[in-house]
Amino acid sequence: MQRVPCLIWMSAAVVLTAMTGCHQERTIAAAAGDAGSGTVRGELTITGSSTMAPLVAEIARRFMARHPAVRIDVQSGGSGKGIQDVRSGIADIGMSSRALQAVESDLEVFPVAVDGVALIVHRSNPVSELTPEQVVAIFTGKIRNWSAIGGPDQPISVVHKAEGRATLEVFLTHFQLRNPDVRPDVIVGDNEHAVRTVAGAPGAIGYVSIGTATADVQSGVPIRLLPLDGIPADCEAVAAGRFPMSRPLILVVRHDRRPLTDVFLRFCRSEQVDDIITAQYFVPAAR
Amino acid sequence: MSEGGAFSRPGARFDRILGAVVWLAAGGIAAVLIWITGDTLQRGLSEVDIAFLTTEPTDAGRRGGIVSVVVSTLMILAVTLTAAVPLALGTAVFLADVSARWSAAAAVVRWSLDVLAAVPSIVFGLFGNALFCVVLGLGYSILSGGLTLACMVLPVMIRTAEQALRSVPAELRMNAAALGLRRTARLWHIEFPAAVPGMAAGLVLGIGRALAETAALIFTAGYATRMPTSVMDSGRALSVHVYELAMNVPMGDRRAAATATILMILVLCITSAASSLLHRRRIFRRSEA
Repeated sequence: MQRVPCLIWMSAAVVLTAMTGCHQERTIAAAAGDAGSGTVRGELTITGSSTMAPLVAEIARRFMARHPAVRIDVQSGGSGKGIQDVRSGIADIGMSSRALQAVESDLEVFPVAVDGVALIVHRSNPVSELTPEQVVAIFTGKIRNWSAIGGPDQPISVVHKAEGRATLEVFLTHFQLRNPDVRPDVIVGDNEHAVRTVAGAPGAIGYVSIGTATADVQSGVPIRLLPLDGIPADCEAVAAGRFPMSRPLILVVRHDRRPLTDVFLRFCRSEQVDDIITAQYFVPAAR
Repeated sequence: MSEGGAFSRPGARFDRILGAVVWLAAGGIAAVLIWITGDTLQRGLSEVDIAFLTTEPTDAGRRGGIVSVVVSTLMILAVTLTAAVPLALGTAVFLADVSARWSAAAAVVRWSLDVLAAVPSIVFGLFGNALFCVVLGLGYSILSGGLTLACMVLPVMIRTAEQALRSVPAELRMNAAALGLRRTARLWHIEFPAAVPGMAAGLVLGIGRALAETAALIFTAGYATRMPTSVMDSGRALSVHVYELAMNVPMGDRRAAATATILMILVLCITSAASSLLHRRRIFRRSEA
């Protein structure tokens, strides 16, 4: 009887060792194939921005379906970690949802998509555009009625995002607001929630990902996207990088990268992934 | 002592207030539990079906199921227990039994354990990433994640196992010594069986902590939702999947609730199975003796 636990641990150890062994053989086989014929094979590790991770994981899934001999691991952890991992060679590709700083010029940048954020109001709201000062005043509770900025006599209801949302950070950064200063009437989670809230309240104002909002406008949801600094909030302006409240979603790599990395980067920047980018509520980057 | 007698005493009112407070506290705990469980089940159960349990996630987790995530979770847990249980038992025996002559060493070990128990899990994640993924070259893998979790659950497992061994009645030990049993025989036949319920509590706490862990796993076991084929594959744990769906995937909330439902059921099943298994063994041993 007393030997049973001992046996369990021993067999577990044997199984673990066997599993490890299998894997190593496969890695070696993959590496050998890499140098050989023209078929794409090998392994890629991608780390970085948690905003981008779901998008790149889906792109990787499609890539692996087309190239069964390729294995891609997408890991999350934040833009900074992605850049650091590429530098140290832990990752082949890093994901970053902010532009690189000047000191990071040792890396090459491949834009994949753009995340644009626009202010939305109810379709019946006659206000055509807001100045940045007006937006700040509305979201900090200094302007509480649309009549103060040339609209109808209707109280403004501020729809704000919950802590931790990527669009929240883009919005706060763009208008140089601090989150505790914002005086929200409603706090919502995802983009769809914000769109539904604004669509149901004629006096509401909120901000959402432009990809989501334009899709909803096309399907007849009664909201309107406000232009910012005179630039219309549409996917073309975002894709071209002209829309001010946006951030790039980029892949970063080292100069001394492997051929497989380039094959995957080309795939990420091709039309073949447009539907995936749109499905994740981003806008494909201009090519 | 009796209720009627207490009535006339000046402290009776205080007694009753204290009683109400105790009831309120206990009721509050139960209410919070029911609220959390009910809320999760109510939002999650409608999404759970056979397909959800048998297919792999697609569309960043918004569609498909979680079978590969469940498998990864169980593999991570297996690695954790394989590494942690023998280490925990060994250290507990050292602290409870062997260390009488090495009290300085035991004090250092206890102090290290207390510090380890206080370390936030994200620090374990960064440490595991640096040690297992980078220095030891295991990469983002189930093995890295499981070993990191093992480091994390060791303190609670060791401390509970030590307490369990210490609470074995001294007469049992003395009787065994009087009968001339060797030290190892005494451990196997007397002390371990008697300490099993306490150790089971430690095991259950450890399993619970391991299954609930998110921060330490994002940096070690990783994020991949593919079905793992070995412990060297990266695999996403259920708790990481819940976090990811709730925080980074637009409209992933419903699937996050569904995954949380499965996680809760899994924790309940594994912990109750573990404790009932260990308890049954103890009874068997008693009748054997």
